[in-house]
Amino acid sequence: MDHGPTSPPSESPPREREQEDCDIRLTMPARAENVVMIRHVCGALAEALHMPAELVADIKLAVTEACTNVVRHAYAGVEAGPIDVAAEPLAGCLTVVVSDRGCGIDASPESEGPGLGLPLIAALSHGLEIEHGPQQGSRLRMSFRPHGGRFLAE
Amino acid sequence: MSDVTAHPLGTDGDTQVTVATGPLVGPVLRRVVGMLAARADLPLDRLDDAVLVADVVACRAPPYAGEAVRVRLTAGERILWMRVGPLRAGGAEALLGEAAGAQVGSVILKLADEVHVDTEDSGSEFLRVRVAYAG
Repeated sequence: MDHGPTSPPSESPPREREQEDCDIRLTMPARAENVVMIRHVCGALAEALHMPAELVADIKLAVTEACTNVVRHAYAGVEAGPIDVAAEPLAGCLTVVVSDRGCGIDASPESEGPGLGLPLIAALSHGLEIEHGPQQGSRLRMSFRPHGGRFLAE
Repeated sequence: MSDVTAHPLGTDGDTQVTVATGPLVGPVLRRVVGMLAARADLPLDRLDDAVLVADVVACRAPPYAGEAVRVRLTAGERILWMRVGPLRAGGAEALLGEAAGAQVGSVILKLADEVHVDTEDSGSEFLRVRVAYAG
């Protein structure tokens, strides 16, 4: 086996451990191309959990919207930081938490209202909790509940 | 010749995947690896090789990874790094040994361009695998 001096991949700053107990966690740069990957993985997760197709589509759309908000707004004017997505199937419900370390959620200066993103996420999910603060980042906790679906984790 | 590449312009950071040991490790890991391999502009055969390595890791790493399998991925231009761990002491070599076919030997060693085992002072190990396309 080669134990040569080839440089390893660079290490990212350590993440908080507050979500370490989730079933699935993805941490990656908040870039548009990564939203596609997150959508893809969340869709695959929902399908692996045997969720109905309609709910899988809702999950993918809601997660895409949440991640797009991070990419567009969380690090506006500064160097892009990480986006963190944690997912946990628990008690008949799939919870997805999208968080960042950016500037928090605020009304876009380019629009008069809060936009359609959060109302859309609220409409697609069975539960939505938002935590944010200036320079503290934001966290969207979305829960999805199937109607008669079967969970592997149950 | 087109200059179009699947690799995005600008710097990109690592992707960290953590999946609790169980049936979701494979479905999640293979999709992330597949997409990052595509982004790294690996040709289809090497993309398949990277996904196969991910499948082997998902299948064989859990006994040595504890409660969750953790993989850090770095996509470069026609290079994909996978850093699997932490694994318990001896886990990296065991993973390589167990991922062996009857006639082909260790699948990971066969498919990867480079394989390294990093050991921390605590005894934890990290298996680093590079899948690349040399042209």
